[in-house]
This record gives sequence, structure tokens and C-alpha cells, in this order.
Amino acid sequence: MRVVKRPFEIIEHPADVGFIAYGGSFGEVLENAALAMMSLGCEREAIEERERREIRASGADNEALLFDWLAEILAVADAEGLAFRRAEVTQLGEGEARGVAYGEKFDKARHRAGTYIKAVTYHELRVEETGDGWRARVFLDV
Amino acid sequence: MAMDKSQLKKLDAYRWLVPRGTKAGMLTDALIYADERLLTQIVTDLSIEQAMNVAFLPGIVGRSLAMPDIHQGYGFPIGGVAATDWQKGVISPGGVGFDINCGVRLLASTLHKDEVTPKLKELVNQLFRDVPSGTGSEGTVECSFAELNDVLERGAAWTVERGYGEAADVEFCEESGCMAGADARQVSDRAKQRGRTQIGTLGSGNHFLEVQYVQKIYEPEIAEAFGLREEQVVVLIHCGSRGLGHQVCTDYLKLMNDAMRRYSIELPDRQLACVPIHKPEGEQYLAAMAAAANFAWANRQAITHFTRKAFEKIFGVGAALRAVYDVAHNIAKRERHKMNGGEKDVLVHRKGATRSFPAGSPFIPAAYKDAGQPVLIPGSMGTASYVLVGNERAMEETFGTVCHGAGRAMSRTAAKKGRDARVETQKLADQGIILRAETRDGILEEVPEAYKDIDAVVDVVHNAGLARKVARLRPMGVIKG
Repeated sequence: MRVVKRPFEIIEHPADVGFIAYGGSFGEVLENAALAMMSLGCEREAIEERERREIRASGADNEALLFDWLAEILAVADAEGLAFRRAEVTQLGEGEARGVAYGEKFDKARHRAGTYIKAVTYHELRVEETGDGWRARVFLDV
Repeated sequence: MAMDKSQLKKLDAYRWLVPRGTKAGMLTDALIYADERLLTQIVTDLSIEQAMNVAFLPGIVGRSLAMPDIHQGYGFPIGGVAATDWQKGVISPGGVGFDINCGVRLLASTLHKDEVTPKLKELVNQLFRDVPSGTGSEGTVECSFAELNDVLERGAAWTVERGYGEAADVEFCEESGCMAGADARQVSDRAKQRGRTQIGTLGSGNHFLEVQYVQKIYEPEIAEAFGLREEQVVVLIHCGSRGLGHQVCTDYLKLMNDAMRRYSIELPDRQLACVPIHKPEGEQYLAAMAAAANFAWANRQAITHFTRKAFEKIFGVGAALRAVYDVAHNIAKRERHKMNGGEKDVLVHRKGATRSFPAGSPFIPAAYKDAGQPVLIPGSMGTASYVLVGNERAMEETFGTVCHGAGRAMSRTAAKKGRDARVETQKLADQGIILRAETRDGILEEVPEAYKDIDAVVDVVHNAGLARKVARLRPMGVIKG
């Protein structure tokens, strides 16, 4: 397995923002994509792992699964006012992923919010297995 | 990746045609409204390509339209308009956007600019305290899970009955603040969880609340009908359906991406996902979209109330803020339009585009019947906003639609590069504009330079005859999420 130098990079979009997430496996891409999204929404360093939330996602193909995984994490955070620091995939099956997101209640006094992310988009969404691992490109609506 | 201008056919100074043969699969032409200078900016991103992709939608009628504030979105361009055949066409959630019924409300005060200036800072601070904004903000409007179903089906009227606002407010909203056909059962629990605590919150990104004054009047008679006069202080509120609307779009995108295969629909971008209007997924989405639109009207209504209270705290009860109008610029609506000598029922998708109906339309408040519909066009925080009035020509060409703002000219990342939030805030202060924002990113992403020239955008719409300029508004105080 290749050594992953960086988990993700942020890419520009004229109106919105996106990222490319890397990983040695599809599961790792899911985790790193979550990391990219979280890092855009809030400075992750100050977030403590006081709460955990189960994440369940499904999709007919890898793109749809990645979309649902990120959309679920975003929805849970928004519904409960949480800021997540990371997410791990615990189970990956055909068209289905399960995992856990870790974080705490968003607190204006301690957390520095970045860009408010409205949603994950299907726009030019790609998941690919390359010669040395996996990569995914995602655009977010902000 | 940029578009080559030579692929566009210049029809006149403000109209550029992309013939349907330009890309295999286009079912109709695309038409871009822009002047030469704006077009030079527009061709640098993928927005025209996206307007061409919209021309692939099954059942599209007329042209795929792009307004002068067009910029690259996801699937649809922002500033895109597409009408589909109500009987045989499709509905596309991406043609409405994640922020369902993102829109603008204008309130007119009885105050003169000179009365407000000395207390402006106090007023902006009060508004910043009373109107929750930014990440994780919760509203103070109590709403149980069961009551939320009422909000979704009744819109602004629900908020007014709760004591937040005046009965007349509802009348001065597009659709009277409540879209017919809303069905709360088509909205997921997850969407409801996200929305329940967000009534009366501004959100983030490009959403704002601005205290402005009327700097210039172009058509005194129309301005009088709208209750606007020079130097008068007004408030412009820009926000939408918050997490609830975002979740509705997310849920149905997922559903439609699966369903498209069943209906054998293939499109150049999955974000354009669509289904025939009268298939179950299409009808469910329309009912959920209407519910989310109603949530947005309930939200802007609550913000209206908090804004009034903040004004009262600073200026006393005499500072009455009257609702001028409230428009939706992310929405899909069934409308009847003139087509090929007859009339046709169509579903007009307005993705970052504003309805602009002329005088005599039965769909605008009785008070404005002789004037036409007020069309509210917010600019960026350091420049200007406009009030226009609908023109008959828009009914013939654009399904009664015009632009929705200035439109971005620069990515958010580029806008942040080399800029400092304190410097930007000071720059506005030097122009007499007081800014309060939740985050530094919120300021930097929204600097005026990140947007197209609002005056140029509005001039295109005006000179093309789609709508007419009524008033130019200048910001005094800005609240950003």
C-alpha cells in the first residue's frame, strides 16, 4: 500500500468549494473525505471527542455511497449543533457503509467556524482507483 | 475549460445565443443575457457549459436561459432558468438548489437616513444580537415537531399567528408566503430535525441582513406605489430554508439519482438529476419543495419581527417597518405562459433567478397591480442593491424572470487570498458602512471585489427590457453570518 502523504487537498470552484481526498482503500477515502469536509466547516484542532454518533450510509455505486456518507455526517452535525473532528469507517459492504463520527457541541467561545457548508453535491463527483490508491473529488455547496 | 466567445451568436448588445447544435444532446438553444464586458467574465468559468447541459432536460420548452449574474454552479448554473412541459417534462431538484426558496425581503421604514446615521452602530449591534446568525445558531421561535408540520404547510401565516409580525406581511410575499401543494409528510424526519430550531435564523455564507437607504429613484410613480422615497431607510433580508431545505434537496437528489435509471434518463452531470413531474418521485419532491419553501417564508417572517423589535428598541415604536415585498429566487413553479401563439402550463425552474411579473398580473398584490411586481436584487455588501419592476417583455422571453443578484466573479478561496478581515471591515467603515459578522471567513468570502458589477448586471436586465429600474439602495449596516 502506498504511503499517503496528505489525506486531502482543497480545490477551488468559482462559487463553491471542493476537495480531493486520497486513501489506500475506499474506506480510507471515506474517512479522509469526512476530514476534508470537517476541516472546512470548523478548525478541527480545538474540537474534543466528547460525543460519538453512528453514521450509516448507502448508495448504488461508490459515488452515491460517498455522497450519502458525507451528507449523513453533515446532517447529524447540523441537526444537533455538533462539530466533528473525525469519522471512522467500521464496516464497509456492498453499497453500504457504517461508521462513527467523533466531536462535541459547537461552542462559539472555543471553536472557530470556517465556511458554513449547506450540502454535498453530485456535481462532478468522482471516485477512482488509481495506480497507487484511491481518490475522490467532491464539491460542496456553501 | 473556458468557453470560446466565438461559439456564441450575438443577437444584440445584450443577448447571446448558443445554438442547440453546439453540443450533441441539447434539445434547445441556450440564451445568455449579458453585455460584452460581463460576457468576458462569464466565459472564464463553466457557467455557459452548464446552461448548455440544462438544455438536455427532457421536456424543456423555450430556451435554456442564463441571466447576466450567471456563474458556475453545480448542475444548473446560478442565474439559470429552465421551463419544462407540465405534462411531459421533468422536475430537477438541482434546478431549484439546496437552499429552497432562498429569497429576499424588503422592509421600508419611516426613518430618514439622517435620523439613523447617529445611532447606526447601536442599531447594527442590536440587530446582530436579536437576529441569530452563523454556524450552530438557534432561533428563539419555539416549535415542536408536530407544530413544524403546520409551518411546512402554512408558511409565513404560521409565524404571524404566533405573534411574529402583522397580517399584511403575508400579503406582500410571492405566493402570499405559502405555496400550495405542500405536504409535510414528504419531508424527512432528518430534515425536520435540522429545521426545527432554525426558524428566525439568518444562516451563513452569502446570507445577510442589511440596513440600507434609498439613494436614487428612477421611476417616481412606481416608487411611490412601492412606498419608497429618496433617503428613506430600508432593510433587506436575504436568507432561505436553512438546514431543512438543504436536507430536502439532499434526500431527493439521492432518490432521483436512483430513479433516473428506471426512467432511462441520461444527463451530462448527476447534479442535474431529474424525473418526470408526474411520476411518484416527482410529485413527492414538488410537495416537499413547497413545504421547504413555506419554511423559508416562515423564517423570513420571524426575522422581520426581530428586525422590527430591534428598530423599536433604538428608535421607538414610530419606526414602523412595512413589508414592501418578498421574492423567492431558488424555486420551481407551475405557471401558464404564452408559447407559440397559444398558452402552455410549464414548470419554471429558477435557480438564482427572480420572478418578474408585469402590471396587471393576477399573481401580485392588489396594491401593486397598476405598477407591477417589485423585483428585489441584492448586490454585494459594499456596493448597492436594486428594486426593479416587472416588464411585459420578460413574459414573452424569460417566463417572467430576471437576475437575482450581482453574481460571483471570484472563487471563495481566491477572495480570501491576501485579504485581512480587519482591513476589509475598515474599508467599509471608511464608506460609512458598519459591518458585523460571525466569522472572518464570512467577511473575506463576501468582499465586494468577489462579485460582478451590480450596476452592469442590472443595466443588462433594464436595457434588454426585461424589468425596469425603480430604486438604487446603498448599504449602511451589514449583518453577516
